[in-house]
Amino acid sequence: MPATLFHRFVLTIGFLSLFHVAYSAAQHRSYLRLNELDFTHLPLDVIIQAFISLFVIMYGVMNVAGDFKEIKASAELENRFWETFKNVPSFYTFSHRGRFLNPSYSSYKGDDE
Amino acid sequence: MTNVNSSLDQLRVWRENNDRKSREIIEIWIRNLNSNVQKLGKEKPLVLEQVCIAALDCNELGIAQKCIQELYKDFPKSLRVKKFEAMFLEAQEKYEEAIEILDNIIKHDETHSGAKKRKIAILKAQGRNVEAIKELADYLKIFMADVEAWQELSELYITEQDFSKAAFCVEELILHNPHNHLLHQRYADIKYTQGGLENIEIARSYYCQAVKLNPNNMRALYGLYLATTAIATSQKCSSQKKKEALKLSEWVLDEIQSQYKDVEVSDMEERLGALQLN
Repeated sequence: MPATLFHRFVLTIGFLSLFHVAYSAAQHRSYLRLNELDFTHLPLDVIIQAFISLFVIMYGVMNVAGDFKEIKASAELENRFWETFKNVPSFYTFSHRGRFLNPSYSSYKGDDE
Repeated sequence: MTNVNSSLDQLRVWRENNDRKSREIIEIWIRNLNSNVQKLGKEKPLVLEQVCIAALDCNELGIAQKCIQELYKDFPKSLRVKKFEAMFLEAQEKYEEAIEILDNIIKHDETHSGAKKRKIAILKAQGRNVEAIKELADYLKIFMADVEAWQELSELYITEQDFSKAAFCVEELILHNPHNHLLHQRYADIKYTQGGLENIEIARSYYCQAVKLNPNNMRALYGLYLATTAIATSQKCSSQKKKEALKLSEWVLDEIQSQYKDVEVSDMEERLGALQLN
């Protein structure tokens, strides 16, 4: 499944929202400092937004990063067969019947040792 | 343009799967790609190499020549392209000239494994298997991690019916790629061919491993059946072992039958019996 524009958009929104949360948290701290209050916990809306943006980012990343691979190491090899696996391109030889099947090849060389 | 893209996709699939399919490649080349060489994009050199080999396979020397020329245009001094020139001569059975070119490449770059492999392939093409084996063994002393070479060596040993050495080569391959069911199956094939109770027991374990890695490997299932029945009918075996082997062979038979359920095969046991080693 290729990454669609929609998923990229979702991912961007997620990151923007996360940065916004960080900024809000920082602002909350400076607000507390100015009013000389003690820090107990972050306001609930900041925490909720942080979690929502986390899940949005997770959704976006999963769709943008591409397909999952099978966890079994041998999964990719399951559809391979010996017939293709035994082909070794760097050791191909051309002294086979291929040329006799070619209609333009007529002169049979009879002088081979 | 869509034609070109679909052809490129098809060629890529074949390239990755190691399919030889020379005739089909040439057909695609003539139909779609020949007039669009400039549109091949990033894959151009790879496609040209693939088509060149396919053309040599089919003795389409004109196409091969064109591919080599195109490659030379992009990489004028490349040794890799020079190797294709040697292969071009090889296809015409001008082996000595081909070797001359390859020797030149090796003189330029002593670590050029491609050229060394071609020299071995030439020996193979000339039917000088024993010399090819010797050369390949020397080659493997230097390039020990070359999986292709190990595989080729095992094939050569099999053609010379030197099964124990072929088995050693496949062992080496299994070490490089322990998750490949085909290698386990191949090793078991060789061991079963060697015969003898001990070897057949080894074959049985390796067939089991192959089936474990890929439950759909039909050849391994058949091999497992043959190996287990050979153990069960052997005279030197203890009855405990025989019982185990019989149980396993029944399981394999069920497995094969369930996989062929839709295909409708009658009298399986009789047919398998015809394959038995005596």
